[in-house]
Amino acid sequence: MIKLSTLFWLVLASAVGFAMFAVKYGVQSLEDELNRTKRAIIAEQHAIRADEAEWAYLTRPETLDEMNRRHLSLGPMSTKQLRTSVTDIPLRAVAPAVENPIVAVADQPAESPQSSIPTSTVASISPEKPTDGPQLSKAPPPKASAKPVAPRRPRSLDELIAQVAASR
Amino acid sequence: MIAVQRLDENPCRPRHFKPPPCVAIIPDGPAKQALEACRSRLLVTGGLFALVFAVVALRVVEIVAVGGGTAESQIARFRAVTEPAPSHADILDRNGNVLAATLDSPSLYANPKQIVDATEAVNKLVRVFPTLGAAEVYAKLTSGKSFVWIRRHLTPAEQYDVNQLGIPGLEFEHEERRVYPDGDLTSHVVGYTGIDNAGFAGVERGLDDVLRGRREPLELSLDLRLQYILREELQRVIDDFTAKGGAGLIMDVNSGEILAMTSLPDFDPNRPTAPDPEHPSIPLADRMFNRATLGVYELGSIFKIFTVAMALDCGTATVGSTYDASHPIRIGRFTISDYHGKHRVLSVPEILMYSSNIGAARMAVAAGSQTQREFLARLGLLKPPKIEVSEVGTPHYPAKWREVNVMTIAFGHGISVTPLSFATAAAALVNGGILRPATLVKLPAGYEPRGRRVISAKTSEQMRKLMRLVVEHGTGTMAAAPGYVVGGKTGTADKVSGRHYAERKLLSSFVGAFPINDPKYLVLTMVDEPHPNKQSHGYATAGWTVAPATSRIIQRIAPLLGVQPVDESSPEVQRALMVESLQGKRIEAY
Repeated sequence: MIKLSTLFWLVLASAVGFAMFAVKYGVQSLEDELNRTKRAIIAEQHAIRADEAEWAYLTRPETLDEMNRRHLSLGPMSTKQLRTSVTDIPLRAVAPAVENPIVAVADQPAESPQSSIPTSTVASISPEKPTDGPQLSKAPPPKASAKPVAPRRPRSLDELIAQVAASR
Repeated sequence: MIAVQRLDENPCRPRHFKPPPCVAIIPDGPAKQALEACRSRLLVTGGLFALVFAVVALRVVEIVAVGGGTAESQIARFRAVTEPAPSHADILDRNGNVLAATLDSPSLYANPKQIVDATEAVNKLVRVFPTLGAAEVYAKLTSGKSFVWIRRHLTPAEQYDVNQLGIPGLEFEHEERRVYPDGDLTSHVVGYTGIDNAGFAGVERGLDDVLRGRREPLELSLDLRLQYILREELQRVIDDFTAKGGAGLIMDVNSGEILAMTSLPDFDPNRPTAPDPEHPSIPLADRMFNRATLGVYELGSIFKIFTVAMALDCGTATVGSTYDASHPIRIGRFTISDYHGKHRVLSVPEILMYSSNIGAARMAVAAGSQTQREFLARLGLLKPPKIEVSEVGTPHYPAKWREVNVMTIAFGHGISVTPLSFATAAAALVNGGILRPATLVKLPAGYEPRGRRVISAKTSEQMRKLMRLVVEHGTGTMAAAPGYVVGGKTGTADKVSGRHYAERKLLSSFVGAFPINDPKYLVLTMVDEPHPNKQSHGYATAGWTVAPATSRIIQRIAPLLGVQPVDESSPEVQRALMVESLQGKRIEAY
């Protein structure tokens, strides 16, 4: 009976001792790992600082200006390029109705000299236009002359705005 | 007893065996005493142990339940590796661009006692550092000391190369170094540091205490993009008119923040003493001199805005008042005459538009010397400016404010102030009359520091209208930037050389604010000794030199600052800038 309990305590003591040392060495190795990681983090932070400084050096205005001059040739923004609201943007004039619809479509993307004239005035004038112009063909004017703004899919922002403005 | 008996009764018991007595034998005499002593000692020892265990137990309870003393004592052992705080905080611009950073930079030193073969070591080292003097290094390595610097502040690549050499006795010392990625662009504002990172100039010196030991970077009010534009345009004027130098600054008139400040020629803060590769002839002292905050100048006609504001604010003149400018004023040995002479009676707007010295002098005399002195003092022009850079210039002004001084100060001669002080005061004239100290440190967005009212809001409004006239019809027409409603004033001063004013040596300056109907930003540009060129038709005055530069600067910076262009001929703008006394009159070109 006595021997059993002695054995029990002996085992317990050695188990506890073993556990203690195991935990201690575990903690030590964890601490080492922690310090290693910390050192790595600090090295990384220093590298980041150096990279940030290098980035600042590589993106200084002088370099960007030089690169822009070489590759992009962007200029300072002029006041003409700035508009405070959508309504300030001059509407694209509807192309005057022409007999040959193929020509009319081909002309549309090009900047029309009448682009600053509001759509409403052009729209009112355009039906009369075919009579002024020389009659190129005997065929009656295509639908485009009857409906200056055909509701078709807009291909650019300007076209969309022009369509919206015309439908108002 | 039972056990004894049982043992005794055991028939198999060996004969020589005598069972031990099971009943405690209580000894008598000395044995008993010894036993008692033992027992009491045991008790004391047990008590001591119990006490120690109680202490341990209490401590455990304290750690677990109470929190266990200070946290520092618990983590102290884990502090083996911590990042050393950089000795100086980084400096950023208002958009977060790095202007100055502290980087790790190892320095190479040697322990000559451990160097085996000095000759071989020198040969190898010179291969890595071609600029190193071989004889000098050899002398160092054979000196018998135990510590000699070989080279300070190596780059990572150099450190790698030295490690590759594998020379025993060479060691690296961890050091820090300030680097300025933007080089000369912000040199005069940020300044530079010495080899031990002590601030020697600019913000580095002015805010050394703040930067030291701080972890978070310091954000300046500077905008790197604006700084670049200002410097580039100013450099262009200096090159075009072969000027000696120049200074410029862009300021937020409502907060006092300086968005850009430059002084040319300048230097590379990474190598402050190295000669400029592009202009090797410019002396170092000239390049290190901050013309914007340290230089004091007789700024000339741009001072007239203060004269007019003073006269309007103290009531000795109204916008409709007139002054006789038909004849030069002779006082003592001086003759005050007009550069753009009209030789007639001029009204207040005309005095400013045509930059009439005679008119300004008469206006100031009418207000009186006491008023003038007090007004300039109120605007902070008689004290050195307060700013975060360490270089500030003390203004020069006459100790005795006589009538001749009143007259010359009215058009900006006889008083020298720094461009910074001037800009701060001019900002107060246009922003509604509140003087706010200029600052280089970024303020929170929308925060307007508490200022001091120096002129009434009405006078400020009148000044804005008059400054607009100068750009619309007067000497500053070339400063116009379509859409941004610039208002301003030109100033061309003759520089003092010795005891006289030198006719040929000019100081051209322009102060402009935009949009003048609701001023947000102020641009001050100044060039020192511009010379006329062919494009300017023989002029080197402000209207031909810095006014066009101001126009270009404003057109480039306004989109960056988010200023919406307006139609200058629109009725709202026209009405806001209408000068009543000039209505219906034909405005003569200057």
